[in-house]
Amino acid sequence: MKGISILEGKYAMSMDMYPLQDKSFNRIHPFYDNLKEGRFTTTKCKDCGTRSFPPRVLCPECLSEEMEWVDLPMEGTVLCVSEQLAGVPLGFTPPLIMAHVDLDGELSYLGRVQNCQAGELKAGDRVKVVAIPIESIPAEGKKGAIIEMERVFYVFEKI
Amino acid sequence: MGRNVCIIGGGMSLWGVRQATARDLYQEAGKACFDDVPGLSNKDVDGLLVGSAFTERSNFQTHLAPLVAEYLGIKPKNICCRVELLCASGSSGIILAYGLIKSGLADVILVTGGEKLYTPQRWEVFYSELGTGDHDFDGAQGLGLPPPFFSMVAQKHMKEYGTTEEQLSMVSVKNRRNGARNPKAQFQKEITLEDALNAPPIVRPLKLFDCCPVTDGAAAVIIASEERAREYTDKPLVYIKGTGQASVNNASANMPSMTTWEALKIASQEAYRKAGVKPSDIDVAQTHDCFTISEIIEYEDLGFCEKGEGGLFVEEGRSDFGGDVPVNTDGGLLSCGHPFGGTGIRQAIEILRQLRGDAFKQVEGARTGLTHNLSGLTAAHTVLIYGRDV
Repeated sequence: MKGISILEGKYAMSMDMYPLQDKSFNRIHPFYDNLKEGRFTTTKCKDCGTRSFPPRVLCPECLSEEMEWVDLPMEGTVLCVSEQLAGVPLGFTPPLIMAHVDLDGELSYLGRVQNCQAGELKAGDRVKVVAIPIESIPAEGKKGAIIEMERVFYVFEKI
Repeated sequence: MGRNVCIIGGGMSLWGVRQATARDLYQEAGKACFDDVPGLSNKDVDGLLVGSAFTERSNFQTHLAPLVAEYLGIKPKNICCRVELLCASGSSGIILAYGLIKSGLADVILVTGGEKLYTPQRWEVFYSELGTGDHDFDGAQGLGLPPPFFSMVAQKHMKEYGTTEEQLSMVSVKNRRNGARNPKAQFQKEITLEDALNAPPIVRPLKLFDCCPVTDGAAAVIIASEERAREYTDKPLVYIKGTGQASVNNASANMPSMTTWEALKIASQEAYRKAGVKPSDIDVAQTHDCFTISEIIEYEDLGFCEKGEGGLFVEEGRSDFGGDVPVNTDGGLLSCGHPFGGTGIRQAIEILRQLRGDAFKQVEGARTGLTHNLSGLTAAHTVLIYGRDV
């Protein structure tokens, strides 16, 4: 069955749901390194003080490239909840609970809430940011080398 | 100020779950479009723009425009490329065609757009949707499929302004009634308020008829300089009068508000200013009703009513035939479906027909029309204003 690579047991990184996080692929790798150590961080411009999220290599305000890593709050208050019970994207299991969370006035964003059943979370509840490991999938490097990637991501959990 | 630019014809394939490839659909749309302008041949077209978002993902086809040109017998010499802004890809193509023709870089451009989204495995399109926001941060949370996001938009609008589930349902009842007259729509069947209110939940409070479907389809229009337009058609001319396209955030962390769409306000104000019209001058509008709550917020942020009164606007029939401004007169996304790149072009076709006077159901005496797309999780908004008067 030549020409149908996906059927040869290979994994297409271009189809991967999680970003390539290692420093060989990604200039904001400290975000993931910090996450592995239990810190939720982002970049702040050393020149104008603008804090951005997602983290980046260029300040969108003053275009400075001088960035430093700063910690974000790891707890917040739920503003709104959505519960997707069916038709969730591949890689997720229903119910897929998403929440709009205010991290104590510092940042608000939409994030997945893990270990949570439908009806369990409501506006006003407190949640925390937790790091979760991403299953390692071997990728092919040069000359047959196998690259194992230890990756991590962040989700909410009800407190 | 450049030349006057007209939309002179348009057509679309049947939209729905199609037993056809993307290239089949572009051929159907192209044929319908050329049939609408008998005085114009494919040999008269000097530019091609193709709006498509998922072409690489669903069809494994990059470099789409030369393929479409070959299939439609077009030999472009001034522009031949694809345009992508997810749900606003088609409208973006029309804006670019307008600019190119206005400035004299091209004379007659075919703008087409469409998607073939259904594969035998329905999970594929849902998976690909994770790439439509900020993939590395929001997408990897599982965010990207629109219903969870718009469910929160609806919850917040209901809480802030007292909008009701009945008012949401009234949008789908109106649009399904309009779509029942549209022979190219994915759904051509009316529903009752009871049907809508009792439909199975998708993501609460959104129920089945609050959500547009996944759709295969394509549409195409011809944009030309006024001078060339007069050569090809003796139907009333419809001019592109003003455009706006705005984005103020992408990632969910940077949204100014979920219930007031700042980028829509900016895009529409730009379009009104360039067109020299105000919201009350719009006789007919096609807005992006991907969800019923979207249309309600669009009434408000387009300036058709005061902020927070969108629910009342539909309840009082002000967005229906005979009201202030009939909205989604061809059925909108809720009836026609939503092949991303095709939608803005489908909207342009309906405005063309309404202003030309040959719509399925006519808004009597309509002279000024508007189209609107949102794209992504409201990360960009696109507005065009068309008119019988320059």
